[in-house]
Amino acid sequence: MTGELLLSVRQLVKRYGSTTVLDGVDLDVAAGSALVIIGPSGSGKSTLLRCIARLEPIAAGTIMLDGKFVASSERVGQAQAVAAHDIGMVFQSFNLFPHLTVLDNLTLAPRRVLGLGRAEAEARARDLLAVVGLAEKAEAYPAKLSGGQQQRAAIARALMMRPRLMLFDEVTSALDPELVGEVLKVMRTLSREGMTMLVVTHEMGFARDVADDVVFMDHGRVVERGPPDQLFAAPQEPRTRAFLSRLLGRDGDE
Amino acid sequence: MGAMFDIDVVVPYLPDLASGLWVTFRLGVISVVLGVVLGLLLALARLSGTRLLAWPAYLYIELFRTTPPLVQIIWFYYGLPPLTGIELDPFGAAALALGLNIAAFFAEIFRAGVEAVPATQWQAAKVLGLGRLDTLRSVILPQAARLVLAPTGTTVIYLVKGTALASAIGAPELLRVGQLVALETFRPVEVLTVIAVAYFVLTYPIALAFMALEKRVARARA
Ligand SMILES: Nc1ncnc2c1ncn2[C@@H]1O[C@H](COP(=O)(O)OP(=O)(O)O)[C@@H](O)[C@H]1O
Ligand SMILES: [Mg+2]
Repeated sequence: MTGELLLSVRQLVKRYGSTTVLDGVDLDVAAGSALVIIGPSGSGKSTLLRCIARLEPIAAGTIMLDGKFVASSERVGQAQAVAAHDIGMVFQSFNLFPHLTVLDNLTLAPRRVLGLGRAEAEARARDLLAVVGLAEKAEAYPAKLSGGQQQRAAIARALMMRPRLMLFDEVTSALDPELVGEVLKVMRTLSREGMTMLVVTHEMGFARDVADDVVFMDHGRVVERGPPDQLFAAPQEPRTRAFLSRLLGRDGDE
Repeated sequence: MGAMFDIDVVVPYLPDLASGLWVTFRLGVISVVLGVVLGLLLALARLSGTRLLAWPAYLYIELFRTTPPLVQIIWFYYGLPPLTGIELDPFGAAALALGLNIAAFFAEIFRAGVEAVPATQWQAAKVLGLGRLDTLRSVILPQAARLVLAPTGTTVIYLVKGTALASAIGAPELLRVGQLVALETFRPVEVLTVIAVAYFVLTYPIALAFMALEKRVARARA
């Protein structure tokens, strides 16, 4: 399942004013793998994804995608910059464009950025809408959709750019419980088809089934990383253990 | 002065008043177009994040917002020729002054509209690879346009009525023509009543049009 290195984050530091939010994060993600990031609120999970998506400037360190640089505090030799659309991101709050139909939400960026013609962009959009189960909703405005449908449309919109890496930041946290499953199902399919994914989530079932590795973050650092079986059953670090027992509602797992 | 209110005395002057209304209409259209275009540019300059653009725009807006439009009209008519050698007829001076004045108000309305679109919309566009200009054009401005519809309508109506200020420099618009007719007939109340109705006839459709637009927009995205 794990191929060669796709994303590498080295000694990433991010500060807001005098607060250090990411404190030297190292992270490797192999092509085709799914990585789930867990950790307490405020530990820097969203910030990490936002730095990788280039939504935030970084203070120090380097982020590379397949040998091209995403962000760096120094000059990185001759390395080329990665194209912005090589990294897709899906947000907790969907962030669809409310004034556009689902179809136009999907086709806007491919037409402007990739230079696709209308027919080609719409064909690609309809294919993807079918994949996420929204074939019937192409002409609908986002406000007419349920949260689960909006989030599936947002995933399809990101996939339109054929990104090499997909970032998911708590994409089911804003959904009613009965709508969570339909979104996770789409993400499972995506992972099975070989998409490289970095997923911040509290859905431990999803992490168990889909993740190649689970990463536990705390206070802006990667504390521990391992395959889900190992990390959930036998966490090595006390902080990981404490977090998991709180999350899973058990006091200690011994 | 006649004791009775006799609207009939105005009838022979209706063609004159109609031509004044036509001038008022053109004055309104020209200044609105000038104001909207310049206002949008000023708003974008203020939002550009570049000091070299934002500062001049800010100065312009405050200068034109804080001085009376009547002063600006008179200044453009009498002050421009000796200072710049550019000589404008009353209509031209009034159109220019009103357009430049209302641009400052449009600029603030548009800026507020753009800033009211959530930052998450910029972020969603950025992770799709859309550049700043594409995002502005296709994502932000269409949403801002919906937000500014109501205040824009109010400002347009305010401006169309405000063209009456051009009478001060003798532009042959509705109020100016009315003043002349009133002098000739000694019937200022009747004449001004007709003029008030004419302004209403001109501006009420604008109010209706903006209301219809708002309804259509509300329906489209619901
Ligand atoms: N724009 C911001 N300005 C200041 N502090 C921020 C900002 N965004 C996040 N933070 C802080 O950074 C820390 C990490 O936040 P975040 O990455 O959102 O954590 P998580 O996603 O793990 O809950 C928190 O302490 C948060 O308060
Ligand atoms: Mg978060």
